[in-house]
Amino acid sequence: MSAFHTTPADHAKGGKSKKKRKGKGDEPDPRIINLKSSMPRAVPAPLRFARNRALRHWTIHRAWLLFQRKEREREAHELERMYQSMHNAAEELRQTSGPGTREEGFLYRVAMEKKGVYGHNAVPIEYARPQTETPAREPWNHGWTR
Amino acid sequence: MATLRDLPRAGRHVLSAVSHLKSCPAGLQRCASSDAAVAASTSNATTAPVIPDIELDSGLASPILTRDDIHIADPRKRASRRNYELPHERYRYHPPKYYRGPLHPVQPPPASDPVARNFAPGPFNFPRLKQTFHSTIASDIMTMMYQHTPPGTPDKPERIRLREWDETSPYMSNRPKRGPRGHDVLFPLERSIDWRNVPEIRAVHINMYMPKAKKNADHLIVGRAVLQSITGVRPVVTTSKTSVAQWGVIKGDRTGVKCTVRGHQAYEFVDKVINLVFPKIKEWKGIQGSTGDSTGNIGWGFEPQDMLHFPEVEANYSLYPAKMIPGCRIVLETTAKSDRHARILCEALGIPFFGKLVD
Repeated sequence: MSAFHTTPADHAKGGKSKKKRKGKGDEPDPRIINLKSSMPRAVPAPLRFARNRALRHWTIHRAWLLFQRKEREREAHELERMYQSMHNAAEELRQTSGPGTREEGFLYRVAMEKKGVYGHNAVPIEYARPQTETPAREPWNHGWTR
Repeated sequence: MATLRDLPRAGRHVLSAVSHLKSCPAGLQRCASSDAAVAASTSNATTAPVIPDIELDSGLASPILTRDDIHIADPRKRASRRNYELPHERYRYHPPKYYRGPLHPVQPPPASDPVARNFAPGPFNFPRLKQTFHSTIASDIMTMMYQHTPPGTPDKPERIRLREWDETSPYMSNRPKRGPRGHDVLFPLERSIDWRNVPEIRAVHINMYMPKAKKNADHLIVGRAVLQSITGVRPVVTTSKTSVAQWGVIKGDRTGVKCTVRGHQAYEFVDKVINLVFPKIKEWKGIQGSTGDSTGNIGWGFEPQDMLHFPEVEANYSLYPAKMIPGCRIVLETTAKSDRHARILCEALGIPFFGKLVD
């Protein structure tokens, strides 16, 4: 980035520019100087640990990696378990004859129907509520109009 | 020696203990024998000269110093008060500035090492969007997309996408197969969603293009500052690929800023965009349904006036010249292999789509 600024202070303010002062040229916008000086190029010095502290850091880091790995595997196992139970349920449905006089596998076909999965509103917008520690009393304002 | 003689008697004694070589007139020397001779003569006739003791108390009476009596100041304190710098150790490790490839003998330390240049102190929070995704959204997407295959169903033969050569001439024998018509690359195959490949966010790429920076380089400064403040990642200045005569941009000009956000930061950024920025945009219908590069990456853009809704920009809006804040283009990179799967992920996260959906 060059040290040469071409944005005059009163022009960059955005509002109606006042009358240009003549002579001496425009000084650069102080905000731009601020922004520029707040993003220095210098990389901070490396963080050096002595032996004990480095060993402590290393131990904690390995423990954290182990914890993450366990969490990942736990989640994967949980998903696999759900998938397996869905598979078992669908297999069960496939071999049962439906309610009343329905033939075998009716419920299975209904369950496997994927109508509108790839269309609009496959997932309703109300579904997207990120979990919070302090949820609202009224989760969704259905009566809202513009 | 003359000066020595002028000294008082006690001081001369001190010096005489050190220097035995100095000459002394015979009359001034005191010896045990001469003292005895004087004492003998005193008793007889003359009075003895009065010689006062030099040390009145004996040295044995002084207290004995032990190790505990010696008081040394706190070394930390001493180090902090010290106004000169002690020399470093002889060798200090510096990680290499550039990664020179996997085969180079000099390798950078892993990012977890605090000395490493890319070391970032550990995650201090768990993004709530990631938390939501892993606890509910992933299993819900998997359930919604479940497609049952009865056990014993034969696998479908994989669709052949590379074209064979017909062996009509010797030129064609043993040649590698040809790519698909119209494309020179094979796009990834979409896999049905099961517990191993639930789509999730991999990265967010943000790009700003400011052709005005050709005339006034301050646009680049503002763009970098805005991008860094909304993402927390240090942006890189890009050069234009093509010349545009109307804007006076020549190929190779520094006219843009970009950065990539990954991991926890990506989730934080998407959370911010979905819950704070999208709802504040006027007359916003959603993201165009035709977006995407057909390999599971969804893109959209923000106008310059939409950038003000980012909380970091909104909080210190007066920090930036208002007219110079640029818009940006955002690409959401997901692990999905097709646009429709990525769109399902986006809808579950809360990004609506409008218009015709194109895969």
